[in-house]
Amino acid sequence: MIKFDDVSKQFPLGNIALKNVSFEIKENEFVFFVGPSGAGKTTILKLIMNQYAPTSGQLTVDDYNLSDKNFHQVEALRKRMGVVFQDFKIMPDKNVFENIAISLKILGSSHQQIAEEIKEALNLVNLSHKTSVFPAQLSAGELQRVAIARAIVGDREIIIADEPTGNLDPKTAWDIMKIFKKLENDKTILFATHNTDIVNSLRKRVIVMKDGKLMKDNKKGGYEA
Amino acid sequence: MREILTSVKRTPYQSLASFLILFFTLFLSLFFFNLTSFFNGILSFVETKPQVTVYFQTTTRESEIFKIRDEIQDSGKALSIKYVSKDEALKIYKDLNKNNPLLLEMVTADILPPSLEIFAKQPSYLTEIATYVKRQPGVDEVIFQKDIIDKVLTLTTVLRRTSIFILVFLLLVSFVVLMTTTAFKIALKKDEIELLRLLGASKFYVQKPFLYEGAIFGLVAGTLAFLIFNAFFLYFYPFLTSYLAGVPRLAFYGLSHLNLYVWPPTPSFVALSYVFVALFGILIGFLGNYLSTSKYISEQ
Repeated sequence: MIKFDDVSKQFPLGNIALKNVSFEIKENEFVFFVGPSGAGKTTILKLIMNQYAPTSGQLTVDDYNLSDKNFHQVEALRKRMGVVFQDFKIMPDKNVFENIAISLKILGSSHQQIAEEIKEALNLVNLSHKTSVFPAQLSAGELQRVAIARAIVGDREIIIADEPTGNLDPKTAWDIMKIFKKLENDKTILFATHNTDIVNSLRKRVIVMKDGKLMKDNKKGGYEA
Repeated sequence: MREILTSVKRTPYQSLASFLILFFTLFLSLFFFNLTSFFNGILSFVETKPQVTVYFQTTTRESEIFKIRDEIQDSGKALSIKYVSKDEALKIYKDLNKNNPLLLEMVTADILPPSLEIFAKQPSYLTEIATYVKRQPGVDEVIFQKDIIDKVLTLTTVLRRTSIFILVFLLLVSFVVLMTTTAFKIALKKDEIELLRLLGASKFYVQKPFLYEGAIFGLVAGTLAFLIFNAFFLYFYPFLTSYLAGVPRLAFYGLSHLNLYVWPPTPSFVALSYVFVALFGILIGFLGNYLSTSKYISEQ
C-alpha cells in the first residue's frame, strides 16, 4: 500500500511542488494522476521512487517509511518498481533483449530466468519477433512497448508510468493502453497523463492535481478537464 | 568486455588519452623500478665487500701483519678480520684472470702483497681503523670502502627521491586525466545511469563497468609498457653486458635465494617486474575511475 499523509514538498529555492497531499493506493490498484503541467503529478511519482524526500508529512510504501531522513533502503524499494517514461529511455547500443535484460540483471536473475521472463514479456507487448532488433529500427510505439516490458519483468509490483503516451500518436497511445489494461489486477499502476480521452475511457481511479494540491480523488473513475 | 569496447568506440579520443597517460606512467615506473633495484643491488654488493682493505709491502713479515691484526681485534671495533696471504692472493689473481693466460705468465706469489680485509662493527669506526693502519710500518696501501659506499648510497638515495617525485607527479597527472575522461564518459551515459538507479541498481553496480574498464586499461597499458621496455632492454643488452662486464650478479633486495637477480636479470625477476607493472596499472586505473564515479554517482 502507498500512503501519502499530509505530504508537502518544497524545493531548496523555495518553490512548492506539493501542498499537504493525502491519499492511499491499495495493492494492484490502477490510478491515474491528471492535471496541467506543474500540477505535481511527476513530483508524486518521484517521491514514491524516493528520487525526492518529502519536506513534511508521512509517506510510506508498504513497510518502507520514505519520510525517514535516514532512509537507506532505496535500492530494495526501487527493485519492486518498474518505470516507464515519456521519452522511453531505451539504450541505443543495446538490442531489445539487452534493454529488457538490464532490469533483470539488477535483480540478480539467472541467464535462464532472464531468457524466460523476456520471452514472456515480449509476448505480452507483442514484440516477440523483434528480440534482436536495435532501437534505431523501432517505431516510437514499439520503443514504448520495450520500455513497458522492461518495467514489468522481474515481478516488479508497482509500475510507474510518467506520461507514457505523451510522445505517441492517438492510435499508438491506445495500443499502449491496451497493454496496461492487461496488467491491471496484477500490478499497482500509477499513471500520470494529460490525455483525458484515455482517462475517461478506462474508468479507473483518478487523482486530480493542480498547483501542488490534490483537487479531487475520483475513485469511480472519469475526469472532466 | 563488450561494454568496454563499446565505451572505447563511443569516446575514442578520451580513451586514447587515458591509455597513453597510463602507458607513460607505467613505462617510467618500470624504468625506475629496474634502475633503483639495480643501484640497490650495487649498494648491497659494495656493502658486502671489506670495508677497509690494507695491502702490505711484499717484504712485510706475517708476524708484523698478525700483530696489527690482533691489535685491531683487541680494540673491539672490528667485526671480523680476514688475512689474505701471498699464496691466497695468487689464487684469487689466477681465478680472476683464468681466461687471459698472458696475464698469468711470470706472476708468482712473491710479487703479490698480503692483505687484511677488515669489517667494522659500526661505520663510524671505519675512519679510526683506516687512520690507525695507515700509520703502521709495512703498510703499502689502504683502500677505504666507505667513500665508495657513501657515493653509491648518495646516488641511490638521489635516484630513489627523484623517481618518487617524478612518479608522484605522473600519478597525479594520470588521476586527473582518468577522472576527467571518466567524468566525460559518465556524462555520455547519464540517461543509462539514471535508469539503472531508478530500477534499483546499487551505486557499486553502476560503478562496476567503469572500474573494470579502468582496471583493464591499466592491465593493457602495463603489459604494453612491459613489452616495450623489455624490447628496448634486449636491444641494448649486448652493450650493457660489455659496459657492466665487471659488475657481478646483483640480487634484488637480498632475495638471491628466490633467484631474483637484477643483473643479469633472471626470468623470475622479469616475471616480478611484470607483476609489479601490471598490478600498479590495475591499481591506478581502478582508483582513478573509482574516485571519478564515486564523485558523480553520489550526486545522482
